[in-house]
Amino acid sequence: MSRHRARRGDPLPAAAPSARGRIATWRGQHAWSLHASLQRLAAHPVGTALTLTVMGFALALPLAFYLALGNLQRFGAALGESQAISVFLKPGLGAAAVAGLASDLRARADVAVVATRTPQQGLAELSAMQGFGPGLAALADNPLPYVLVVTPRAGLDARAGQALVTALRALPAADRVQDNSAWRGRLDALLTLGRRVVLLLGALLALAALLVVGNSVRQDIQAHAEEIAVMQLVGASPGFVRRPYLYAGICYGFGSGVVAVALVLLLELALTGPVATLAAAWGGGLRFAGLAPALLLAVPFAAALLGWLGARIAGARHLTAVEPH
Amino acid sequence: MPARAGLAATLAHAMLPASPEPAAPVIRLDQVSKRYPGGHEALSQLSFELGAGEMAFVTGHSGAGKSTLLKLLGLLERPSHGAVMVGGVNLGSVRRSGIPRLRRQVGMVFQDHRLLMDRSVFANVELPLVVAGVPPAERGKRVRAALEKVGLLAHEKKSPPALSAGEQQRVGIARAIVGKPPLLIADEPTGNLDPQLAVEIMGLFVEFQQVGATVLVATHDLFLIKRMRKRVIVLDHGRLVDDVAAAEVV
Ligand SMILES: Nc1ncnc2c1ncn2[C@@H]1O[C@H](COP(=O)(O)OP(=O)(O)OP(=O)(O)O)[C@@H](O)[C@H]1O
Ligand SMILES: [Mg+2]
Repeated sequence: MSRHRARRGDPLPAAAPSARGRIATWRGQHAWSLHASLQRLAAHPVGTALTLTVMGFALALPLAFYLALGNLQRFGAALGESQAISVFLKPGLGAAAVAGLASDLRARADVAVVATRTPQQGLAELSAMQGFGPGLAALADNPLPYVLVVTPRAGLDARAGQALVTALRALPAADRVQDNSAWRGRLDALLTLGRRVVLLLGALLALAALLVVGNSVRQDIQAHAEEIAVMQLVGASPGFVRRPYLYAGICYGFGSGVVAVALVLLLELALTGPVATLAAAWGGGLRFAGLAPALLLAVPFAAALLGWLGARIAGARHLTAVEPH
Repeated sequence: MPARAGLAATLAHAMLPASPEPAAPVIRLDQVSKRYPGGHEALSQLSFELGAGEMAFVTGHSGAGKSTLLKLLGLLERPSHGAVMVGGVNLGSVRRSGIPRLRRQVGMVFQDHRLLMDRSVFANVELPLVVAGVPPAERGKRVRAALEKVGLLAHEKKSPPALSAGEQQRVGIARAIVGKPPLLIADEPTGNLDPQLAVEIMGLFVEFQQVGATVLVATHDLFLIKRMRKRVIVLDHGRLVDDVAAAEVV
C-alpha cells in the first residue's frame, strides 16, 4: 500500500537527475541489452554457428590471399638475388681476352661474381642433355661462344640492375646479353595486380559479410516481432528496441573475425612445412612468414564494426516495419 | 505545457487533492472522431472527461469503438478529428519521438495480455522498468512489490505458459502497474476469465483507484459493471449514448 501512496512523489525516473544517475541508467540498460542479445544467440546455437562460419570464411579468404601474396613477394625477392646475367661473347674471342674482360667486370661495384664458361663446358653440358649427343658429335668445330655469368651484387634495386644490364650490352665483346632478372619485373607487375585483386576481393567479401549479418539480424527481428511490439507498448524508445540487435551484430562480427583468424592460423600451420621443403629445394634460406600479429588482432575488431554496420542497416529497414504505426 | 516533459508533472499535479485550483481532468476528449483507412467511423464526435483518481467503465456492443478509444489514449492510433488530452497534454502535439515517454505514464492491460511467453514472469513485469532506465537493484524491489500486489510472488520464476489464464492476466496487470503510472487503461481484462476470477481482477483495479490512480476499463460484462458500482460510459456505433455516474449504477 505504501508503495502506491508514494506514487505522487515518486514518478518514473524518466530523466535521471544527476550525471552519475544517468550513467548508471545507461550502463544498466546496455547490460540488459547485451545480455538479451547473447541469450538470443545462445538460444539458436546452430543458426549462430552457421552465420559465424559463413562470415568467418568470407573474411578469411582475403586474408589468405594477402598471406600468399606477401610470401610470394618475399620469395621473389630472395630468388632475384640468386639470379645472374649471362653475357654471350662474340665468337672467335680468345681465352686471354675473355679473362681480361672478366676481371674488368669483377672490378665493378655492382657486380658480385663473374664466372667464365668455356665453349668446351657448354658443349659438355649440351651433350649431357638427351637427344643432342649424336648431332653434336657430327660437328667438326665447337660453335659455342664463351659465356660470362655475371651475378649482380646482392640488394641491387631494379633500376641499378637495369643499368648493369645496359652496361653489359654496351660491351664491344658482347654478342648477346640474357637478362635472367627480366622475370622479376613480370613478377612485380603480377604482385601489383595481386594486391589490387586482394583489395577488391576484400571489399567484395566484406560486403558479403555485411549481407550475412544483415540477414541474420533481419531474421532475429522477425522472430521477435511480438517482443518488439510489447517493448514499444511499455514505452521503449526506438534506440532501446534496436540495441540488442546492434549488440547481436557486433557479436556476429567479432565471432566471425575470430573464426577467420583461426582459419588463417590453421592455413599457416599447414603451409609452413611444405614451403620450407620448397625453399630448401631452391637452396635459399627462405622461411614461410605468417601474417603480422597486429593485423590478426585487428581483424575481429574490424569485423565487429562490420557486424554493427550490418545490424544497423537491417534495423533501419526492418524495425520500423514491426512498429504499430 | 510542453508535450514531452510535462505529462508526468501534470498528471501528478492533477492528482493533488490539496491543489488550490480545481483538479484538471486526466482524460479529456473533445469532439473526437476516428475513421480507419477504408473503414467507417469507429468513433464519432466523442466528448467526455475523466477526473484524477476517477474510475470508469467503457461499454457497448462489439464494434462500438471501445478498443479504438483506448488505443487513442495510448497513442496506438491517432484521431481523425478532435483533440485527445491526457494529463492536460494534447496528444496531437506529441510527436513520434515523444510516444515512448507518454506510454511510460500510461499503464496498459490487454485482453490477450501480450506477455512474452519465453521470458519469466519476473522478466515480463520488469520490462517497463528496464525501458524506463530504473537501476537493477530497485527493479527487483518494485517487481516483487507489484507481483505481491497481484498475488503472484511465488510464481516469479515461472514462464507465462505455466500459469492459468487468470494468473497470466494478473502478470499483465503487474506489468502495467509496476512503473506506477498515474493512468491505467485496460481493454477487456476479464474477457477470458470465469466470473469469480473476473471479480477478483476488477477488485485489483478498484484498489489501484483507491490509492490514487485514474482507471479506465473497457468491458461488455454488464454483470461485472453493476457489481463494481463505478461510472459507466456507454458507446454505440462510436457515439456516446450514456454516461452513468457511479451513484446511479443499479
Ligand atoms: N485497424 C483497424 N482497421 C480498420 N477498422 C478497424 C480497425 N480496428 C477496428 N476497426 C473497426 O472499428 C470499429 C470499432 O472497433 P473496436 O475494436 O474499437 O470495437 P470494440 O468496441 O473494441 O469491439 P469488441 O467488443 O469486439 O472488442 C469496428 O467496426 C472495427 O471493425
Ligand atoms: Mg475491443
